[in-house]
Amino acid sequence: MMRFHARWPQVGILALLVSACLAAPAGGQATPGENLEVREILLENGMRILILPREGAPTVSFTVRFGLGGVHERLGTTGIAHLLEHMLFKGTTTIGTRDPEAEQRLFPLMDAAHDSLLLARVRDDRAEKERLVARIDALEDSARAFVESNEFDRILSRAGAQGLNATTTNEATIYFVELPSNRTELWFALEADRMSNPVFREYYSERDVVTEERRMRIESVPGGVLYETHLATAFTMHPYGVPVVGYMSDLETLSRRDVESYYRRFYGPNNAVVAIVGDLDPDQVEEWTRQYLGSIPRGDDPPPVLAVEPEQRGERRIEVEWDAEPQLRLGWHVPSSLDDDAPALAILTSLLTGGRTSRLYRRMILEDRIATGVFSSLGPGSLYPQLLQIDATPLAPATTATLEAAIYEEIARLASGGPTQTELTRVRNQIAAGSIRRMQSSLGLAFQLAESQAIFDDWRETFRFSGRLRTVTAGDIQRVAGQYLTRENRTVATLVKTETR
Amino acid sequence: MRFLTAICVCVTWASIPTQAIAQQPSGREAIETMRFADVSFDPPVPDEYSIGGVPVLLLEDGTLPLTSVYARFRGGYGLFGREHYAVGTAMPSLLRYGGTSSMAPDSVDGLLEYYAIQTSFGGAGAAVSSTMNTLSEHLPAALELWGSLLVDPAFDENEIEVWRGRQLESIRRRSDDPGRLAFSEYNRLLYGDHPIGWEMEDADLSPTRVAQSRFHELHARIVCRENLVLGVSGDTDWPTVQPLLASLVDKVPACPDSLPASPIPDIRREPGVFLIEKETEQSVIVMAHTTGVHLADEPAYFAATIANSILGAGGFSSRIMARVRTEEGYAYSASSLWTMPRRYDGLLGAITRTRPENTAPAIALILETMQELRDAPPESEEVETAVAQVVNGFVFNFETAGQIVSRTMFYLAQDLPQDWLERYVEGVQGVNANSVHNAFASHLRPEDMMILIVGDSERIGLDALREFGPVTHLEIGKNR
Repeated sequence: MMRFHARWPQVGILALLVSACLAAPAGGQATPGENLEVREILLENGMRILILPREGAPTVSFTVRFGLGGVHERLGTTGIAHLLEHMLFKGTTTIGTRDPEAEQRLFPLMDAAHDSLLLARVRDDRAEKERLVARIDALEDSARAFVESNEFDRILSRAGAQGLNATTTNEATIYFVELPSNRTELWFALEADRMSNPVFREYYSERDVVTEERRMRIESVPGGVLYETHLATAFTMHPYGVPVVGYMSDLETLSRRDVESYYRRFYGPNNAVVAIVGDLDPDQVEEWTRQYLGSIPRGDDPPPVLAVEPEQRGERRIEVEWDAEPQLRLGWHVPSSLDDDAPALAILTSLLTGGRTSRLYRRMILEDRIATGVFSSLGPGSLYPQLLQIDATPLAPATTATLEAAIYEEIARLASGGPTQTELTRVRNQIAAGSIRRMQSSLGLAFQLAESQAIFDDWRETFRFSGRLRTVTAGDIQRVAGQYLTRENRTVATLVKTETR
Repeated sequence: MRFLTAICVCVTWASIPTQAIAQQPSGREAIETMRFADVSFDPPVPDEYSIGGVPVLLLEDGTLPLTSVYARFRGGYGLFGREHYAVGTAMPSLLRYGGTSSMAPDSVDGLLEYYAIQTSFGGAGAAVSSTMNTLSEHLPAALELWGSLLVDPAFDENEIEVWRGRQLESIRRRSDDPGRLAFSEYNRLLYGDHPIGWEMEDADLSPTRVAQSRFHELHARIVCRENLVLGVSGDTDWPTVQPLLASLVDKVPACPDSLPASPIPDIRREPGVFLIEKETEQSVIVMAHTTGVHLADEPAYFAATIANSILGAGGFSSRIMARVRTEEGYAYSASSLWTMPRRYDGLLGAITRTRPENTAPAIALILETMQELRDAPPESEEVETAVAQVVNGFVFNFETAGQIVSRTMFYLAQDLPQDWLERYVEGVQGVNANSVHNAFASHLRPEDMMILIVGDSERIGLDALREFGPVTHLEIGKNR
């Protein structure tokens, strides 16, 4: 039970209590985000565009969300969506090149050399492998004579662009940038060109860049290896067990042709949602939308995700030996974020580790002093049955076993006794304030609108979810904790220190 | 189910036949004929007030029912000597977590979380700062609570012990992450016994070094009136916030003494190659030498900032990124660094990570790229791109009221003119290819780089590293 005692100056705390009661929205009342004046456009080619004018600095935020990510990949081609994310910054038939025809005449030669390289690898013919790697390098250097490297980036940089980047998740790839508002039409011209006429130049060197990204995020840091191993153990069938960045052996075999044909097939406008937020004239932006994006041909629907993770029948445990101090990662199978239990599970994670008053933080860090950090989340995606995950770092001399015992004990307490009314009110108030804070950033809003539209066919749904969170009861928390956070449903991964790995 | 939903969406969404719309050309043809109107924009400027001698900046913004209040105190861990390093470092955390003389830490936690008040407490070598963000309707009480944390802290002993335990664990884990290891050891190697070079050690965390009384002593020297600047942004106005801030300032005592001067570092200047042995799939490479360009309203400073952008800080448009990443595929990330402190020398160099076998080739390529910029001026197009990025991106400095207030407070604390941003944008517009070349010719010395590598020497190849100078093996935590 929290102590809100009278040592706090009386007027202040009374003011807080009264105003908080007045502020709490009644159940079913619309959250502020639902009332945003978003203009929705559906083009005949299936592209969906959301336009939201906002007062403020003369800037505009753009996101393009393609509904393709890690879950749509198969073993052998893992990491292809992420590799494509990189390749779409390489330019088009007119951007990034001085002679597109001369340049592209070299592509089949590179692809043929790469095909031969894969065969040489199978034969383990070292000399041939070295010869073919050198040939691909030489061909790429020859092609580079016709290339204006990074021109796409340079055009936007000169326009004052901020934050030009993209991100690939399990379920989507999102491209984003912010521009001064007077450059809005520039974005349309570049984006329409990128969607229609991409050229996959400098492919083999960019593939090397992606392998370096994998080394940086996964293979060189203990947390990365633990994360990847944990998911691979928890998901035996569903692609959530496969890393979005791809396995190294797949990255080293994906050809330029593979990546280009994947793009041509699936990255059509019918799989894209665009959100544009900022200092803009919606009529003008709608006109540009139709002019620039309306004629891009449709693509195929994303490959269906048919794999279903079988019910887990017993605890799974895995150790990762690494030259690092211990870490712990737990995961329980729970339904997707579209399920009716999703709000209760989201509140459960907040009750467990959301702030210093949360159950696990208080017990493990402040009271028992056995951990330096503890975090929980739902993931690694959201559209398919996922995990409730807990990451914890022991404080010596405590061990990962000590942490496990404390976590299980607190979960059992929550499942049997439920949260207190104070805990629930605290979380609900944070949700109410969060529903306002989430509207501070134009780019953040663009992300939220596009994701909600893509997943729920309605941009408002992301804001309605905040409303549903506030209706979760103590009984709901007890039920989901008891139903899902069981021994037989969990996967435990521990990082174990070795002197040499 | 998805099909039915899609039909509904078609009905409700605006949709007109696309054949009625003339298709625009895209790509180069489109952008080469495109003309852009000027941006019409009056950058908001915070109002300046004073309460009891404390400067207060206010920028009203009624977009959302939220208000932020900012405090910045001159005085940080770097000013008081090594014996106060741990307490100075812990000060921001313990202000937030240590309770007040009238409230236990868990009561503070409960109130902040119950009312969804967001706070941040941070510090650097020469300052302690904090921000509080609240729904505007809670502002009076939230400001009172936040003010108590700042001026009336208890420094609860259990919380000190929690902080100390986490620091000790952090020391144990120092070498787990090759990146963290590289940067901390590099600072130690260059700056030695200067606050920039300090890394927390067990001795810093002895119970006597972090005694509660030491927190109170240091707090009295930092959290005092002459050190304070306040800022407010959001959905409030001066008549509302003035009495609340006056109440806070009333509780801030006068400073007992003036702050010590920030120590001037004695930076190592000898070039060489230093290796920290670690079995890892990717080497971390940090290289730099000292330079004497200082932050100032002078052409040399503006030229150096644009030069840095061209060398490697300007993302994909920069030379190092283009060579190391785009052309060779050696690294996911490669950039330059050029620090320009106001009072002492800065560093000029580069950072990257690559697989062990590419370590020496990546270093060689970076040094070669530097030498090229030393030998010949950059293309004028490169300079134009770097300058245009600053000039056209100027509006992004005004996206939120909080951003504007925080920046203005920083200028005040740094004794920079309030129109420093405008001066900066004007200054970089005077930079050209010759001034950039002069900056490189005068300050960039690839042959003088002190190169540190965290990696696996067996896979890197020591002979390859010796091409860049004698190789010294470093022991973690014992360098310089």
